[in-house]
Amino acid sequence: MSRRVVEINGRRLSLANLEKDLYPSYGFTKARILEYYRRIAPYMLPHLQGRALTLKRYPDGVAKEFFFEKRCPSHRPEWVKTAQVAINGAEPIFACVAEDLETLLWAENLASLELHVPLARAATPDRPDAMVFDLDPGEPAGVPESAKVALILRDLLSRMGLESMGKTSGKKGLHVYVPLNRTEATFEQTKTFSRAVAGILQRHYPDLVTANMAKEERRSKVFINWSQNDAKKTMICVYSLRAEERPSVSFPFTWDELEDAVRLADPALLKVLHDEAVRRAEERGDRFRDVLSRAQILPHL
Amino acid sequence: MAVRGMWSGTISFSLVAIPVYLVKAVEPGRISFRLLHTREYSPLARRMVCPEDGAAVGWDEIVRGYEAGPEQFIVVTDEELASLSPERSRTIEISEFIDLADVDPVYFDRPYYLVPAKGGEKAYSLLVEVLRRANKAGLAKFVFGEREYLVAVSSRDGALAVITLHYHDAVRSEEGMAPKEAMAPKEAMAAADEAEVERINGVMKAMLGEFDPAKYADSRKHAIRELLASKAHAQAPVEAPALPGEEAEGPADLVAALEESMRQVKAR
Repeated sequence: MSRRVVEINGRRLSLANLEKDLYPSYGFTKARILEYYRRIAPYMLPHLQGRALTLKRYPDGVAKEFFFEKRCPSHRPEWVKTAQVAINGAEPIFACVAEDLETLLWAENLASLELHVPLARAATPDRPDAMVFDLDPGEPAGVPESAKVALILRDLLSRMGLESMGKTSGKKGLHVYVPLNRTEATFEQTKTFSRAVAGILQRHYPDLVTANMAKEERRSKVFINWSQNDAKKTMICVYSLRAEERPSVSFPFTWDELEDAVRLADPALLKVLHDEAVRRAEERGDRFRDVLSRAQILPHL
Repeated sequence: MAVRGMWSGTISFSLVAIPVYLVKAVEPGRISFRLLHTREYSPLARRMVCPEDGAAVGWDEIVRGYEAGPEQFIVVTDEELASLSPERSRTIEISEFIDLADVDPVYFDRPYYLVPAKGGEKAYSLLVEVLRRANKAGLAKFVFGEREYLVAVSSRDGALAVITLHYHDAVRSEEGMAPKEAMAPKEAMAAADEAEVERINGVMKAMLGEFDPAKYADSRKHAIRELLASKAHAQAPVEAPALPGEEAEGPADLVAALEESMRQVKAR
């Protein structure tokens, strides 16, 4: 077993199993996963700031068993920040909060390929910073259908005076975010609003959209999962890897890019792998940063 | 006042304009039922389907067609219909005063009241009193929703009562309703018939009463209410599974704004 001790920002971190291939059919070792997160960190860390992290760990790679870890492992180094979170009124737990490179790499050393975060920060757990529409296509619908729905959603929200931004889920879905960043926002509002929006889309595009959770309703349609607007739910963090066959990334897209993908009928344009993600982020910066700063009010509530 | 107006505007004639609300005078209160799935008791949704393949048809793919003949339709768009709607107006303009007793009850459609809005109380009472003394009703046209209605405004118990009237072409002619014989002049009636009329007249006199509407009630409605009360008491209501996002739900204001925005998006 290989072990390497590195020092980051004056903190020592012991990395293990660096040569272990966690994406066996593609060929992507833990060393390369750590390298990916190291390079994407400047763009990703602002989105992890202050948020209780849920680690989705794949100790034996994407093809094997995984588990969710909401509780920050007790064997953590003392410099790993935590936040107290209460889940469903149960005993509060301490969750990891990754605000620096060393914490991010420590989490990745645990094979936490996917990093999930709530829409609210740990200090204000009932205040979402954004409203989200999780577009989840049911077979045989896929990225093209999701893209169509995302564009309708953008137009509808824009008519309602709301600017929205999107990212890929890294799988087949798309996530449309409406930044709020206002102290008075509540999950009750975002849920009411997103639910009404999902209902309208379902009514106007019954062949394309469903707002119904039931699996059989979702076949060949895009399910608009509005129920993600909840203090208890988490979303895959932007720039996180996904545990797919290939190391794809939940990556921001611009609306122009989405329109191109629809026009060219090329869903591959929306599939961003690790190397492409780093290249684009380093070239263009964080395309998702407005989600953290743009302040908007939901109308008609 | 606790009544909520379904329309507000002014009632006017000559130089008087009185701010008023329109409220319904009757509330039939039919007991309505939702249609549920027998298995899970979830309320069922209506959906337009294509009879050929059974596939759901979206609202953006639906137009109105007037059936001109068998399998022949004249397609009319919402815009065309909207262009025919009378201009929205906020006044009930009285154009004539008539005797309500002259109006055949077959013309009466739906009764409403006009309630004075703030600042209109005095002029309102004045108009009520004038109509009462003259025992006349004001005839007016007024636009409500997409249609223009003919209404008669009269005084009743210190308030302005409104009844919408059917248009003349909507009322069936009486021709052919009465049997031919009855049209014969009175003198032609046989003596035997005359005696029968007298006899029935006697029976009728014995049955004479004052109309007391409180004596009559919709017995089926009461029976259904009682059934519902006893069932609610005997067993808890069945619960429908929570269906997230079923139809457009949410605050009416928000849904209306979303519908309008959706319409604009699709119109592009």
